[in-house]
Amino acid sequence: MNVRRILAVSRKSLSQFRHDKRTLGFVVGMPLLMVLAFGYTFGGQVHDVRTLVVNEDLGPMGAQFVSNLTGDTLAVESYADVGAATAEVRAGHAWAALWLPQNFSAALLSRRAVIHVILDGSSPPIVAAVLGTIRASLEKAFAGAGGATALSLEQDFVYGSSDTRFIDSFAPGIIALAVLMVTTIFSVIIIVREKSGGLLERLFSTPLRPIELVLGHAAALSVVAVAQSTVVLGAALLLFQVQVVGSVPLAFAVLLLFAVGNQGLGMVASAAARNELQAVQFIPLVLFPSLLLTGVFYPLEAIPGGLRPLSWFVPMTYANDAMHSVMLRGWGAGDVIVDLVVLGAYAAVALMAAAVFIRRQA
Amino acid sequence: MPRLPPEKVPAIVCKGLSKRFGPVEALRDLALLVPRGVTFGLLGPNGAGKTTSIRLWLGLAAPSGGTAYVLGKALPPREVLPRIGYMPQDVAVYADLTVEENLALFGRLVGMDEEAIDRRTDDVLRLVDIAERRHEIVSNLSGGMKRRTSLAAALLHDPDLLLLDEPTVGVDPELRAAFWDFFRDLTRRGKTVLITTHYMEEAARCDLVALLHRGRLLAHGDPDAVKARTAADNLDDAFLALVRAEKGAPP
Repeated sequence: MNVRRILAVSRKSLSQFRHDKRTLGFVVGMPLLMVLAFGYTFGGQVHDVRTLVVNEDLGPMGAQFVSNLTGDTLAVESYADVGAATAEVRAGHAWAALWLPQNFSAALLSRRAVIHVILDGSSPPIVAAVLGTIRASLEKAFAGAGGATALSLEQDFVYGSSDTRFIDSFAPGIIALAVLMVTTIFSVIIIVREKSGGLLERLFSTPLRPIELVLGHAAALSVVAVAQSTVVLGAALLLFQVQVVGSVPLAFAVLLLFAVGNQGLGMVASAAARNELQAVQFIPLVLFPSLLLTGVFYPLEAIPGGLRPLSWFVPMTYANDAMHSVMLRGWGAGDVIVDLVVLGAYAAVALMAAAVFIRRQA
Repeated sequence: MPRLPPEKVPAIVCKGLSKRFGPVEALRDLALLVPRGVTFGLLGPNGAGKTTSIRLWLGLAAPSGGTAYVLGKALPPREVLPRIGYMPQDVAVYADLTVEENLALFGRLVGMDEEAIDRRTDDVLRLVDIAERRHEIVSNLSGGMKRRTSLAAALLHDPDLLLLDEPTVGVDPELRAAFWDFFRDLTRRGKTVLITTHYMEEAARCDLVALLHRGRLLAHGDPDAVKARTAADNLDDAFLALVRAEKGAPP
């Protein structure tokens, strides 16, 4: 063992870092970004859950209860008609609707009062937040009267059920995440590898066009993505009996659109990178926003208000929403059309951008 | 250009072809004619503009000024790319594919059908003498064999014009001799072989040569004529004399 030789190797490695400014920026910037992202998003409580209240109570108690639904967990909105309120929940525009019938005050006195809660049960953390807030308000409103024990909550699940587990609610997002990981890793390496070996120039000395190269790569990677989705979805169903009430082919279509978009974006990064190390740095840059800002683990309602608009710029948000709606709510293509259009546009723009970038690099 | 029968159209005609990279003039006002059916040596030290010229002719970069016609087509010569074979300086074949898979890829990209690819693969691999390695993964091959694979890929579609960028660098003398025999076979069949090199003794084997220095054409013609112009015994000395004359001349 020779200390001088060991130090020679260390010195060489540090010099390599020093010569690669982008990598140097990554070494400093990435941990900072991670800490900020985790701190702001995981520090958040569920808030502003859109909840509709239909108070038909002829007596005063209903209003008293509603006025106690304070705090920022629920974004309470009054609705006149329980049918319309239920339709809003069914359409995914609200998470819950509360219905207090005409005889609420009277029934409360005779200790037989019922509050109907119409719930979208596809997200257990949201269900927990809604029910928790209602129970707390009841305690506050009727504390003196011992009234909280004098009524029952009748839960009516539009989607999911009280049996919907946490794993059911995040499985759709995890499946999309698995696709994101693999497609990004592959596509981010693919162009930079061809560039470094002089292969890109060799390819373009034939009539091959950049867009043809991009589409060729995307088609091959899509085969990989479909195979992988089959494994992940199969494992989720067989090993964990994850709930799927909707169309499995539609879930595949969502994953494929999402995969193609990620491949395009990965190839843009790959074309922009000067070496494989720079290309790989792109992976966490995509991964962290996709993990934290998109409702995969925690509902979008748990993201602090200031960061919430960022979610709409992360494609994973739409993939997660579509997978969630298809698998847990059983929605069809028409119901997730916005997600499909956004993911389709993402795929088209990303592929074209990749072709333009590769042309510039060649 | 006057209408010529296709086989008489010059392989390459350059008119004032220039390329700048920022402040660097990689190629300045190049006027050059490469006729068909010859071996043409593009000579010069590193940085003379040899690779830049090839990249421009293939449309891999856009000229900053002037133009060129490749097999009769103005730059970028997309339509005639299937008639050009290009062997870059780097061994540009996929290391993680077999020899045969590499050839099939490039054959398909220039529009060959599967039957022709299969037949020609046999032929060209025999020509470059690696027929028995057809199914081998390229990364398992020696450096010389990788270069042969790269040359085979450039030859597969029997191109009319071969652009070979330093094809003999790092190639052992035996293989180098074999390459040259082979180039002469091609020109006998009417093909044009343009090679770049900085080995002057190798350039003497070409029918025609052009000497480049810092992006400028110093001389061109047949090797003997170039030597005679400078009263030199060999191309090395001729080149040095031309560079000295260039430096001495007023700008």
